[in-house]
Amino acid sequence: MIINNFLIRYCTENARVYRILSALALLFIVFWLNSCSDFTEIDTPVSQLNTAAVFEEKNTAYSAMANVFAQMRDNGMLTGKTTGIQKEMGLYADELTWYGNSAQSSANFFTNTLIPTHPTLATWWNNSYSQIYAANAVIEGVAASTKLLQADKEQLTGEAKFARAFLHFYVLQLWGNVPYITGTDYTYNSMVKRLPTAEVYAKIIEDLESAIKLLPEEYISQTRVRPNSYVAQALLARVYLYAGMWPEAANSASAVLNKTDIYTWVTELNAVFLKGSSATIWQYAPRTPTRNTDEGTTYIFNGGPPNSVALTNSLVNAFEANDQRKAKWIRSISKGSITWYHAYKYKKTGSNSPQVEFSIVLRLAEMYLIRSEARARQGELSNAKDDLNLIRNTAGLGNTSAVTQDEILAAILHERQVELFSEFGHRFFDLRRFDALDRTLSGVKADWNNTDNLLPLPQTELNLNPNIGPQNPGY
Amino acid sequence: MKNISLNKGIRAMLYSLIIGLFLTPLLVMARIPLPKSISQQQNITGTVRDSQGVLPGVTVSIQGKSIGTITDYQGKYSITATATDVLVFSFVGYSTLNIPIAGRTVVSLQLQEDATNLQEVKVNAGYYSVKESERTGSISRITSKDIETQPVTNVLAAMQGRMAGVNITQQTGTGGGGFNIQIRGQNSVRRGGNSPLYIIDGVPYSSEEIGNGMSMSVMSMNTNPLNNINPIDIESLEVLKDADATAIYGSRGANGVVLITTKKGKKGKTRFSASVAQGTGSVPHFMKMMNTEQYLAMRAEAFANDGITEYPESAYDINGTWDQTRSTNWQKELMGGTSKITNINGSISGGSEETQFMLSGTYGKETTVLPGDFGYNRANVRSSINHASADQRFKISFTGGYGIQNNDQPSTDLTTEAWRLAPNAPALYDAEGNLNWENNTFENPLRYLKGLSKSKTHDLVANTALSYNLLENIEIKSSFGYTDLNHHESSTFPSTMYNPSLGIGSETSRIFYTDTKRNSWIIEPQLNWKPTLGVVKTELLIGSAFQSQNNTSLSVQSSGFSSNSMIYNPAAATNTSILGFDESVYKYQSFFGRANFNLKERYIINLTGRRDGSSRFGAGKRFGWFGAVGAAWLFSREKLLQDNTVLSFGKLRASYGTTGNDQIGNYQFLNTYTPSNANYDGVMGLVPSRLYNSSFGWETNKKLEVAIETGFLKDRIFLTAAWYRNRSSDQLVGIPLPGTAGFTEIQSNLNASVENRGVELTLHTLNVKTTDFNWSTTINFAASKNKLRSFPDLESSTYSNSYVIGQPLNIVKVYHYTGIDPETGIYNFEDVNGDGILTEPEDKQIVKDLNPAYFGGIQNTVRFQRWQFDFLFSFVKQQNYNVPRTLGVAGTMNNQSVAIVDRWQSPGDVASSQLYTSGANGTAENALYQYAASDAGITDASFIKLKNVSISYEFSERWLKNVNCKATVEGQNVFTITGYKGADPEFAGYGFLPPLRIITVGLQFNF
Repeated sequence: MIINNFLIRYCTENARVYRILSALALLFIVFWLNSCSDFTEIDTPVSQLNTAAVFEEKNTAYSAMANVFAQMRDNGMLTGKTTGIQKEMGLYADELTWYGNSAQSSANFFTNTLIPTHPTLATWWNNSYSQIYAANAVIEGVAASTKLLQADKEQLTGEAKFARAFLHFYVLQLWGNVPYITGTDYTYNSMVKRLPTAEVYAKIIEDLESAIKLLPEEYISQTRVRPNSYVAQALLARVYLYAGMWPEAANSASAVLNKTDIYTWVTELNAVFLKGSSATIWQYAPRTPTRNTDEGTTYIFNGGPPNSVALTNSLVNAFEANDQRKAKWIRSISKGSITWYHAYKYKKTGSNSPQVEFSIVLRLAEMYLIRSEARARQGELSNAKDDLNLIRNTAGLGNTSAVTQDEILAAILHERQVELFSEFGHRFFDLRRFDALDRTLSGVKADWNNTDNLLPLPQTELNLNPNIGPQNPGY
Repeated sequence: MKNISLNKGIRAMLYSLIIGLFLTPLLVMARIPLPKSISQQQNITGTVRDSQGVLPGVTVSIQGKSIGTITDYQGKYSITATATDVLVFSFVGYSTLNIPIAGRTVVSLQLQEDATNLQEVKVNAGYYSVKESERTGSISRITSKDIETQPVTNVLAAMQGRMAGVNITQQTGTGGGGFNIQIRGQNSVRRGGNSPLYIIDGVPYSSEEIGNGMSMSVMSMNTNPLNNINPIDIESLEVLKDADATAIYGSRGANGVVLITTKKGKKGKTRFSASVAQGTGSVPHFMKMMNTEQYLAMRAEAFANDGITEYPESAYDINGTWDQTRSTNWQKELMGGTSKITNINGSISGGSEETQFMLSGTYGKETTVLPGDFGYNRANVRSSINHASADQRFKISFTGGYGIQNNDQPSTDLTTEAWRLAPNAPALYDAEGNLNWENNTFENPLRYLKGLSKSKTHDLVANTALSYNLLENIEIKSSFGYTDLNHHESSTFPSTMYNPSLGIGSETSRIFYTDTKRNSWIIEPQLNWKPTLGVVKTELLIGSAFQSQNNTSLSVQSSGFSSNSMIYNPAAATNTSILGFDESVYKYQSFFGRANFNLKERYIINLTGRRDGSSRFGAGKRFGWFGAVGAAWLFSREKLLQDNTVLSFGKLRASYGTTGNDQIGNYQFLNTYTPSNANYDGVMGLVPSRLYNSSFGWETNKKLEVAIETGFLKDRIFLTAAWYRNRSSDQLVGIPLPGTAGFTEIQSNLNASVENRGVELTLHTLNVKTTDFNWSTTINFAASKNKLRSFPDLESSTYSNSYVIGQPLNIVKVYHYTGIDPETGIYNFEDVNGDGILTEPEDKQIVKDLNPAYFGGIQNTVRFQRWQFDFLFSFVKQQNYNVPRTLGVAGTMNNQSVAIVDRWQSPGDVASSQLYTSGANGTAENALYQYAASDAGITDASFIKLKNVSISYEFSERWLKNVNCKATVEGQNVFTITGYKGADPEFAGYGFLPPLRIITVGLQFNF
């Protein structure tokens, strides 16, 4: 423009030149505009990374996968925070009593009065599928990557498939038939249908078998926070057990139990939940290098009355006399004549340093219990009792007195209650597997009814996806 | 707030216009050597005034001769004439006077404002200006005259109550705090998408919030950069409202446009002006709280109700630990101080025919009403230079302003604390003058003052415009603008905020800080052509704009210091975490045009259009067309009405068009990962930023307006009535998706529609007009209705509990309060779905509209000789939260409003408040929270406020030779008439210092 001005001034007095120049100036503006049509193109900001670029570099690709585990740890159903299934499904079954405000959302779990608009349902559902989306994005990103090494591709794909299977497994447990999402195309994913339970199990098993092949035998981290093939194997054992595939469940559990150069049984109960425990198969890495577990924060209270949850009397009374787990994994708090109990597997609350405990997701005791049950179901009663007794002996108890298959199975259900209490809602799922929900909870929970074995689908999901219905029975 | 150099806004504006438009030929002629002396030539001098004081810029010429001059800044002129000549005094907006010299050498006089001629005022419409009478769009305007009477530091405060349809609310009384503005209601479903566009001297100024809620914790909202604009520098401020006025700003015009024009230098001898004002600010009204007697009675009754006979150990107020005869009004004690306000302005201006300049500086200081040494300081410097070539064809102008603000406040607002404290709580200081913790029973409120919220802002806005007249009616022009903002803010929470006996050390001390840098440049080449096509006067404009804005911000939390004295040194912290980091680029490109056809100054059509491209959209969606058509018919100029003695002016105007909105933040269309700030095994996570969708585009806003403007009795009564309807669609919000999609929403254009419709009335009357006494009144009134017309899948979206189709956007859904249960004495609510329990959202089915039903202002200006008296009442009809009734559970160790004295005591009682409880009655406690979230928790908060009052006296120039001197007393928020029982009905902020009553006394000098 300035140059134009000078030109124009230079040519003063000449009207014809004026007119030509004014037309030129006009053209100039229009031309400038058109020539700059890419002016509004901008680069990717430094605070974000192009999706394709994330998977062209090892560090960023691992960061993408690390975030899936971090999200599982922090948000949704699998977190140890107060919002996860560990507490809520404990309340829903007969492990925990609610002492908080009756208007808080946890109260509905305790009283089994969930409705489809309950906010926690949407939170669990949405977070689960969001984490599944992120895992799928890793699988797709890694597949399209040209620069990642094969070993890294296998580790990441294996981890992502493991995470995808893990998340779907719990979505299946909570809601029954659910969709199995294996891609990131939202136009497809927002119109998906629910699959029959057996098909979901088949897909979970397919993913875990693939993960077992892809993942290395050794942990890539010292603290067992990123899965190796045995982590996938251990989850697979749980999946087979839940799916009623007994020989496979026993074999998968054995595969982990036989890996004795990595996993060794810990007999000191107070050492089971320490971060370096050799009986740990998989644990979450804490949020900061100084933190302890969210479970600790969720369960521990130091004065009465508790303001959130305490263990139910039925659980506390379920321990046999001399069970060391009652002494070491439970703590009592008294005020006046009243005594409350809280889970004390983790001794420290999250913010209480130094760091000694990580949140354990899969541990050896469950493998013994899985194998025990799978063997019992197949009639291998003696072998079943061996595994069960190992657990009992560690807790300071004598061998089981159960003899018949039914007695052994009942003993296993009981053992699972006192061994796995307050961990990942095991109790509720076990009761359902043993078809014991109604008889166990009807007397204890006033509002329990037989359709409460599954949670209602979130109302938002029913509203937004016409293919997802119908709602689970009873809601 | 005194002005720097110009105390007559409109006149000063006209002054510059006259120089630019009318006087040039006169002045050129004036430089032609006068014809050789004729008989009895003498120098005639004098001063021209108007009803409000001296009048600069008046053209003084001699009838029948081509000789003329203009009055200078003090209204003085000097002209050579013969004793028999007739002097002609003319000035836009005033009746021309012809005065025979009749042998005198001094001819001083007063010009009378001619209301009709106010229609000649040129109004800034952004890329062009338009004569008031020929305006086709809806533009509200205030000038320095209105701004200077107000002791305010924020430009939005200066607009409050003065413009129809412009709703402004103050968010806090803390110095440097923010304001909210809504021009004709909320258009976007996104709460953050409703800001107007601000243009300062042609440069777009981003009003996007800076900083972070945690790093300026004392404020109710994030820092608003508009505080950087110094109101005293403003010459005029226009608000563009309808499609005709805003469509030339295309995509950014949806929420209206605020045009700010700063003061410029004037030709003539160098002028100095200075003003000093000193004043005070205080909280105008406190909530009425219980006294000690009422409070302790409440506590005793609460424990009795709960069946507690032995007061708990922690009930210090009533168990005998604290003196039960003490009585402190904590609001007075903690917020009842007086803030000292000082404002100093100075300016130098002047210039020659070709070059004019102005330099000005302002310093302002405002201390706090809290007990402590806090304050808000600001300094601004501004310069402007205009230059024109001798032939007036080439012009260059430069304006630049630089502002510095320093704000030091405590990091916690004490308002809630002042309400909460028991009236018999102990003294703040012990005998040694240290903070009194009363043997560890008293959480001393002054502990909060140990933490500080500090901010420092440096801001530069500069603009250069070059223009050249190619031909007489063709001008090419380009403006270049630059803005640069640097902002640092921090809030500290040191361990000294806690009782020392708790043994909390500096390892717990925390600081939050945010650094923001923002700069932008803009280039706007334009071409103006004003041909006359036959009988049609035509104005054509085409132009283009290129803008780029860079933004960087970093928010950090640091904690764990070896010593509190190291709290501002992040290197001394044991833990540092990044709360947020953003570095973004926003680019913007446009092509715009205007065609205005004016037939016989009676029929006017105005076409405007713009094609905009924004980097906030993906390829293929970046560009959008916007445009409007406006038309005006000046029916009073038709033959039938031309000589009507009653109707002096009549205009019907209408406009329709589309504008847009791209306020969605940058990079929403990219397929990226973002750091999640989640650590896993030493690896920082990366999370998919969003579902990838690059196919969304502009939000569109269709505006329709019809208005009539009528003047009666020579425009002594002037009424403007406008009806408008704005509809926003293609809303840029997340479209709800089922969870299985991985994200619950995707950024897209949602087919939701929001409508704002309303009427706006402005009535200006000149009630009395004599030489010594003038009285004029301006009333503005706006009533509007906001409505969400449609919103697909609202029930499943994140907005399901905040919006209802068919209702306004600014609503709350609440329980229905049904009274106090006469048996239990507890608040009862309607169980809408009849399931026996009160649940959210099922039972929250009552909709309460928090938009004002109507609002406006009544402004009066009365002049009597040298006295001038201005006052503005603003009024709002609205509902707001019933703060006094929801201050917490009555009976616990928190003081309550006196309204709570009327409570239920025994079965059968009829009362307005439920029974007291010490906290042991969980049902009552729960009921109080439900009450706050019920229709009883919202109450009428309509008010009439004496927003502004100003009295000034202009001293005779005989007292101070050649110095024009004026003394003023000004007040802001003087008093409020309202039935609302809270601190201030204007403001929705809970627990923040209410807007202060400010009174200042000032002197200003011009010489």
